[in-house]
Amino acid sequence: MRRDVFQAMADPVRRDIIELLARDILTINEVADHFDISRPAISKQLRILQECGLVRIEQKGRVRYCSIQPKELIPAFLWIDRYRSLWEEKVDSFEAYVNQLSSKNKKL
Amino acid sequence: MSQDNRTLTIERILNAPIQLVWDAWTQPEHIAKWWGPKGMDTRVEVHELKVGGTWRFAMRMPDGKDFIAEGIYKELSPPNKLVTSADFKPMTEGVSLEVLLEADGDQTKFTFNVVHPTEEYCKQQEAMGFYNGWASTFDRLAELLQT
Repeated sequence: MRRDVFQAMADPVRRDIIELLARDILTINEVADHFDISRPAISKQLRILQECGLVRIEQKGRVRYCSIQPKELIPAFLWIDRYRSLWEEKVDSFEAYVNQLSSKNKKL
Repeated sequence: MSQDNRTLTIERILNAPIQLVWDAWTQPEHIAKWWGPKGMDTRVEVHELKVGGTWRFAMRMPDGKDFIAEGIYKELSPPNKLVTSADFKPMTEGVSLEVLLEADGDQTKFTFNVVHPTEEYCKQQEAMGFYNGWASTFDRLAELLQT
């Protein structure tokens, strides 16, 4: 299975976990408290997020703390910006060219 | 983003009559002028304006490599509708582009649809929706990144 930021975001529960951890560092139990699904299921999603590099899990005494690794989200930022701008720029460029053509035609 | 979740839609009102808009989108001498980003030359390598005809545009990137966009025309109803497949390797493959034009006096209503057929792209679309809806979260992450 692929382990990267896109894989991490492919699941709605993992997206909710990312949103939670973007606000706070939480223990695994605190993360699990936000969901109706079982603690083992949350642990599994956290493990996938860890393998994707998005979440770091640190053991302190008997408690494990989860924190977000925001740098790992950069590829997604870049991909989405590039993607959106690919089409927007093309249409902008087309619009500018059509305007230019149109005003030239009016002068003739 | 349209409701079917796999189509990206961009709409504009263009200040030009429909025939001119159609020509600007379909004639190679025009395409070469607007297809590429600013300051980037586009070469129209192949252009067969007919259903089943292929087109291939090459853009010279700053590193000297060519960025190739290519596709096959699926539907041509001048001056109102054009549908083509398109590959922009390696970023976007197997999408369908639809250009819909509607005359409104001297103006033209322009609708551009990018339709993503595959499951993989639907997933990535989903990821995009995720970003769109979560601006505040990502503002926060952006703050974190600066620290």
